[in-house]
Amino acid sequence: MKDEELLNNERREKILSPHPLSFMKFQFLCIFLLIWGIIVGWIVNFSEWQSGFVNNFFFALSFWGIGLLLAGIIASLSTVRWSIFILYLTVFLTGTLIIYWQGIQNSIGIFAPIYTIIASIIGFLLVEWYRRSHKYIITDQRLIFKGGIATKRERSLRYENVVEYDSESGVLGQIFGFGTIIPQTPSGVGMGSDSAMAAGGVALGEKKAKLFGLIGGEKEVQTPRTRTYYELHGVYPFKEVKQLLEKHKQGSAPTTHHKEQVAFQQQQIDIQKQMRALLKMQKEEKEELPTPPIKDKTTSEEE
Amino acid sequence: MEGSPIDIVIFAPLAPILGVLLFWFIQLLFIESQKYLIEKIRPKHEPLCRFTNFLGVLYQSICHALGYTLTKSGISDFYISVNYGRVSPKKEKKGIFEWISNAFLFMGPFFIPAVLIILYLFLLGFKGFETIIPAQVLYLKYTFGGQLTTYGVNLYNFTNNFLNFLVNLNLLHPGHFGFLLLLIFLGLGIRPSHIGEKKVDRVNMIYDLKNIWKLITHKPIYIILLFSVTYLFFYISLLLGQIWYIIFFSFLGWLSIISIVALFITHMILYLIKTTDEIIGRKKYLLYIIIPLSYILARIFFHYIKADFDLSTSLFIMILSTILVLYLSKRKKKEKKTQKFKTKIDIKSLEKIDEGETDER
Repeated sequence: MKDEELLNNERREKILSPHPLSFMKFQFLCIFLLIWGIIVGWIVNFSEWQSGFVNNFFFALSFWGIGLLLAGIIASLSTVRWSIFILYLTVFLTGTLIIYWQGIQNSIGIFAPIYTIIASIIGFLLVEWYRRSHKYIITDQRLIFKGGIATKRERSLRYENVVEYDSESGVLGQIFGFGTIIPQTPSGVGMGSDSAMAAGGVALGEKKAKLFGLIGGEKEVQTPRTRTYYELHGVYPFKEVKQLLEKHKQGSAPTTHHKEQVAFQQQQIDIQKQMRALLKMQKEEKEELPTPPIKDKTTSEEE
Repeated sequence: MEGSPIDIVIFAPLAPILGVLLFWFIQLLFIESQKYLIEKIRPKHEPLCRFTNFLGVLYQSICHALGYTLTKSGISDFYISVNYGRVSPKKEKKGIFEWISNAFLFMGPFFIPAVLIILYLFLLGFKGFETIIPAQVLYLKYTFGGQLTTYGVNLYNFTNNFLNFLVNLNLLHPGHFGFLLLLIFLGLGIRPSHIGEKKVDRVNMIYDLKNIWKLITHKPIYIILLFSVTYLFFYISLLLGQIWYIIFFSFLGWLSIISIVALFITHMILYLIKTTDEIIGRKKYLLYIIIPLSYILARIFFHYIKADFDLSTSLFIMILSTILVLYLSKRKKKEKKTQKFKTKIDIKSLEKIDEGETDER
């Protein structure tokens, strides 16, 4: 952050970016691709089952693809994100297209593992690029969130607008000392919702009509969540940053003692106002009454 | 069946118990030594230490939860963090059930994680789980000596096969590589009393032993009951002419052996980390590169030039090259250190010059 971007009398205290392992949920997808590439390469070329794959293109392709797609389905179901399945499907379809386009069906044993490993490396690089696009600046007056690969986003949050901080640190975070802090505002920024849906199917009878009724219910739970650009995602050192933010929040928010003091001062002002009004009234009354003649000091002394 | 009745009835069941106790004690010593090493590397490798803590807490909590499950207490709360674990039962059961749950908490981490390795070995097709009765003690198998010999032979056979398997590990085989990782994780986590965020002096081997002693002396009746069940198990095996009793204790012995080997391997790794820390500069990274590089090069070499012991030789080359690079790096560092106060010209030659000068005068 350049100094000219700072406000008057604003002091920059920390510039943070997410820890390299804080995007493990994305990195894990790449790790799986890497491991699967190695396993496929080993099974198809070096294992005792190697002979089963020789001159059997469809068997090798199915083995490679089923492993990828099955992992995609499991990951998607467990995280309720079909984008993971779509990602693995894209990797598989692109690989298959390249094989047919280049006519390298006989070399699938070499191509599939190398392609999967390359895909995982590209994935790692993309995640790293995404991670590096984040920048969080802590000043003594506000929090500045910056990020975005193509579209640059920026959010500035003053400490007096923060209601509370929600923080979390997973196992990796606890081991490496990083964690995520989500500042919440009265307007609801920093809150997301988790929704779960339960559905059941009922067949209404074969003779009348083969209808399939769907009974469902949805439950929504408000939970602290926001985009990684709008939170302090995987910041290190977690405890220190948390303490610093709490300190700033405390400094900007009025405490009970402050409130009492303000109320007392208000009382004082009221009393002063009343006194002033009283004095004014007295003055006015005096002005209305005829003033007695004032004795001349010098003449009396002479007398 | 030969042997005196007192020997068979009273002493014979004790033989494998003593064997298990001996190995368990060796395990305790290794754990204590590992804790010492971890404390040494802690300032520079805080995340690694936290990771070992997490593994320790994880194993402890799993064992405790297993204890509650087996005693049908149920689990209402299961919480694990890097420094702390908590398992709460659904129903607070007292008496023997509580005692068993606590026994799982204190004793479980020594044995239960090793069961995972046994299962993994089984999946890898390891052939070392055979239990035999040596021909020499066939007629004395239910005596103290016979039991001890059988236990020893079974343990020897397993250890032999297990070590043979280890020296022939194919690190380019995903299954074998996974096995090594699991073994390392097991070795890092076998700690009944974990090291917390800060060093706590009272948490050591004596602390563990005190805990176990408290468990025993708190309700001696349960220990008597446990011994009675063990003896009963022996008598049933004796009456039916089976070797179930010795098989059971051999299994416990295998678990101890696995744990000791895992602890030994982690010792080597921790020692390597500790020694590498002493090397200044980027040279220390060379050491971490040389480990996989030497192994892969050796494997490529043996792929083209066929040899009988290619797997074990590759491992040997890897270990040897690591030691060599470590030695050379440390030697250079030592030389640098000693050269700090050395003059550019040799002192002896300086003396000669001095003498020459005085002669001239």
